[in-house]
Amino acid sequence: MRYYETLYIVNPNLENEALDQTMGEIRTELEKTKSKLINHRVWGKKRLAYQIDKQKYGSYILLHFEGGDQDQMNEFNTWMKLNNTVVRHMTVILDEKPEVYVEEVKEEPAEDKTTESVAEKAAPVEEAEVEIASEETEPVETDDTESTDEKVEADTPEEVADESPEEEPKEKEAE
Amino acid sequence: MAFQSRKKFCYFKENGITDIDYKDVKLLRRFVNDQGKIMPRRITGSSAKMHRKLVRAIKRSRSIALMPYVENSAE
Repeated sequence: MRYYETLYIVNPNLENEALDQTMGEIRTELEKTKSKLINHRVWGKKRLAYQIDKQKYGSYILLHFEGGDQDQMNEFNTWMKLNNTVVRHMTVILDEKPEVYVEEVKEEPAEDKTTESVAEKAAPVEEAEVEIASEETEPVETDDTESTDEKVEADTPEEVADESPEEEPKEKEAE
Repeated sequence: MAFQSRKKFCYFKENGITDIDYKDVKLLRRFVNDQGKIMPRRITGSSAKMHRKLVRAIKRSRSIALMPYVENSAE
């Protein structure tokens, strides 16, 4: 059986309940095609590259499934087209079986626009994270290039942190 | 010697990328100009095989509004 990936855009102003409802509708519609659902998750609200129905933003939802009956797959496709809540959708054949998505715990990204003292404190933390990452990547030979890149990046934040106290106020004045 | 140009290389082969995902906008952005046009192979230096995959990925990405068809068009 083939594996498919459907990415569809929904109006971002939908409330959570309405979003869950439409996702549920799509799931039941997909089950009619005897497909096996693998993933069905919200990819996130993104800015559209061009306006669709005068909307600048859209929430993207990603759907992975193992293909079922071909005729009913076409029906599913037309159903998606006629569905008014789905702004746009696209189904793509996957070469390999998609991995089951597990929600990761998001690490808080280091903020760029911080005060001087915070920037200095943040630098050692970043280094620690990079060290852990490089340890993980070292056993794998193919990732060698990536780990070296990370080391290069790890060196730069120190320099930036040293220079930033002088530079940042000037930028603020310019603004 | 003074006119020796830098050797072009295939970005994907160099980085061990075999498949290009249409959702990876950050990567695809490197291969379009600021008008959103796909850059030719003679400039990017990518191999024929990867360029075909790249083009497919960019076109898919456009149709789902992740990348623009036209942008900053000269008036």
